[in-house]
Amino acid sequence: MSLSRSLLPIAVLVAAGCGHRPAAASGLRVVSLVPSVTEIIYAVGAGGVLVGNTNQCDYPEAAKGVYKVGDFMTPDLERIVALRPGLVFLTLPMHQQLLAKLKEMKLPVYVSRPADIPAAFKEIDTVARLLGRKAAGDSLVASMRKRFDSIPAFADTPRVYVEISGTPLMTAGGGTFINELLARAGGRNVFGSSLQEYPVVDPEAVLKADPEVMLLLHPDMSVRDVASRVGWGGIGAVKHGRIYDKLDEDLLFRPGPRVVDGVVLLAKLLHPGQ
Amino acid sequence: MQKRLLPGWVGIILLLVASAALSVAVGPGGFARTNLGAVMDLRLLRLALGIIAGGVLAVVGASLQGLLQNPLADPFTMGVASGAALGASLTLVLGRTAGAFAPVGGFAGALVTMLVVYALARVRGRVTVTGLVLAGVIMSFLFSSLVMLVMILGRRTLGEAVYMMMGHLGVVFTGKTVWLFGAAAVLAVAGCAWFFSMSRSLDIMSSGEEAAETLGVDTQRVTKTVFVISSVLVGVVVSFTGAISFVGLVVPHLVRMLFGPAHRRVLPGSFVAGAGILLLSDVLARNIVPGGLPLSIVTALVGVPFFIYLLRSRL
Amino acid sequence: MNAIELSGLAFGYGERLLFDGFNLEVASGEFLGVIGPNGAGKSTLLRLVSGLLRPASGSVRILGQDLGALGRREVARTLGVVLQENPFAFDYSVSDVVMMGRNPYLGRFQSPGRHDREAVNSALEFVDALFLRDKRINSISAGERQRVVLARALAQEPAILMLDEATSHLDIAHQQLIARILLNLNRQGKTVVFLSHDLNLAALYCSRILLLDRGKAVACDVPERVITIELIRSVYGVEPIVTRHPESGRPQIMLPTASGG
Repeated sequence: MSLSRSLLPIAVLVAAGCGHRPAAASGLRVVSLVPSVTEIIYAVGAGGVLVGNTNQCDYPEAAKGVYKVGDFMTPDLERIVALRPGLVFLTLPMHQQLLAKLKEMKLPVYVSRPADIPAAFKEIDTVARLLGRKAAGDSLVASMRKRFDSIPAFADTPRVYVEISGTPLMTAGGGTFINELLARAGGRNVFGSSLQEYPVVDPEAVLKADPEVMLLLHPDMSVRDVASRVGWGGIGAVKHGRIYDKLDEDLLFRPGPRVVDGVVLLAKLLHPGQ
Repeated sequence: MQKRLLPGWVGIILLLVASAALSVAVGPGGFARTNLGAVMDLRLLRLALGIIAGGVLAVVGASLQGLLQNPLADPFTMGVASGAALGASLTLVLGRTAGAFAPVGGFAGALVTMLVVYALARVRGRVTVTGLVLAGVIMSFLFSSLVMLVMILGRRTLGEAVYMMMGHLGVVFTGKTVWLFGAAAVLAVAGCAWFFSMSRSLDIMSSGEEAAETLGVDTQRVTKTVFVISSVLVGVVVSFTGAISFVGLVVPHLVRMLFGPAHRRVLPGSFVAGAGILLLSDVLARNIVPGGLPLSIVTALVGVPFFIYLLRSRL
Repeated sequence: MNAIELSGLAFGYGERLLFDGFNLEVASGEFLGVIGPNGAGKSTLLRLVSGLLRPASGSVRILGQDLGALGRREVARTLGVVLQENPFAFDYSVSDVVMMGRNPYLGRFQSPGRHDREAVNSALEFVDALFLRDKRINSISAGERQRVVLARALAQEPAILMLDEATSHLDIAHQQLIARILLNLNRQGKTVVFLSHDLNLAALYCSRILLLDRGKAVACDVPERVITIELIRSVYGVEPIVTRHPESGRPQIMLPTASGG
């Protein structure tokens, strides 16, 4: 991953599109292709340097008004370049090709890809420094850590099944961020040993794993539909009605300032009454 | 000629029974103590789905090959399979409750495809076989691309799109959709029976449309009927399992090698052999790799050696 | 009663009419030859008579009945057609192919019975192809195949038989064989309509010849009055030499040598 800093003043250019805010006094123009990084940028008070983000960058509210360079999955290279950014945040593997092209054009890029919670904390720190907001970053991380450490260690770790899709059955595997969150929230992802990030699983495997809690992270089916699945009646989660849907998925998938909120959310579901 | 029939039948029936037994006995669920009954439920449903899907796809393939006088015809050639996948994927990305009714979406998709292909193929009020093939192939390409587009726009993972396009039997049935499947199964068997009753007409049509007319076959009616029933059957199956390719194309040829081209033998033979081969492919697909491979990969890998073996043994 | 009656027939592909006000009467028991240059409308005429094409206006009557009023199966029981091209996508056995000719007599759920099998056998016997019974249709020679397709038409037990270029790709032995078969059929009382490019063959065997040119009946008469230098010249643009066949006295043509000047 390449890392470079550019605080050279850049002439103000008129960029196409609506919602554009003039460059901040420091002259740094930042494009964020990663919703979690966008959140970090605002959380450390550097929202003013953001000149472009993606359609999926929707938190906080202010992020919605920023010029959109496209989808998180498919950002538009031309739009990015037209903004003459001094720094572009992206992630892998989604932006593999884009990364190559931006490097060719000698545009400064930063690849954000925190694999676990400690890495997420460090990421906030790094981004804050890049944007000259070290102090804000430090205090944010400190308050997050405090909250994080106040989460108790849990005696029981219920088995959890995370469903990403219903047709076919897809779950979150070992390398995913949500897997990390679950672990910290005192749960055990029944497919946590899978090497794939989002493997397709056989319904029988779910039966065999007999999860105690199910998280439905897709809008396809309601809790009632899942509970009425043929042959699933014997699963612990179904029997005790511990199937949860309509969760704020951004809390669970974005390694940003709200990770602790994600952990807390999960902890409350997994250990009600604690 | 008669002597060769019996071993052929024995062979494919044995294949079906063996595949069915394997399908029920082997699986990732093992024989979990607490959930044994539930696992069997899942497996039996999977078995039923596999038999219906394999049988229907093979029978439709055989009928289309006869009707279109084209050994390369199959549900995909007609665009119907892709259309069904498109319909199913549309309902999937459109929303919550819609997702549980993907079968209806697939059905609708197949119907719409059928109407479009039919309209494209109409020349002066007549539907020609050439027209159907051309229109079908074009629509097949178009709809395959559209499925990918819909999946991308709907922010679906690539994995889901792959399984829609390449098929799987690991369908989870809810209380509601099980009934839907039951109705679909009855429809499927009825449709296949109807094709069987048209055996003679299909035989004659495979020797040329004009010749068939002169022999007293109502080619327009046969064409329309086969097309409509094929669309319905394929639409329903694909909406449950995604698009499983290769079965409709290869199985009829295998069966013809065993029994000769007469449809009164090829159609029932295709049902049995198609079910057996699909179940066998599924057993392999779900047990080799945890989570399972998309079915079309395995049907191709299983089907081709079979084909080569039979081809060589006859030469 | 005439076997075939066309009156006021009009038909065209696209804008222009090929046949306009076309009339023809084919008597029962006739052996009619239909000749004419490419594009004259021979094949189209066959398709109009057999119902494969619908005329824009005018009527087609088969054995006194209007074609439109007859059901497809009834037509198939009366009229047997042998088309020029007979591709078989799948390798049926010869007996299976000829059994297809019994289709007009078999109900949807009916299996062929003894009478059907007998009809198939006698049809094959008539064309001297019984020994081919169990062979595959795509593994026999062109001449044998032609006889099988003819047998299929005969299995329909039709009163009228129409053939499109039945001898085109065959060697002279097979040509003569087919011609002899048709003659025998005609002697049995069947009406035979024989479309051909082979003027000599038609002249040798047919009782009447219809000479078509661009949808018009230039002549429809006994061979002596149709195979004449004037008519052949005016329709084909070729100046033939007309002689008499030494055995039957029928007119035969020979082409002059192409003199390049």
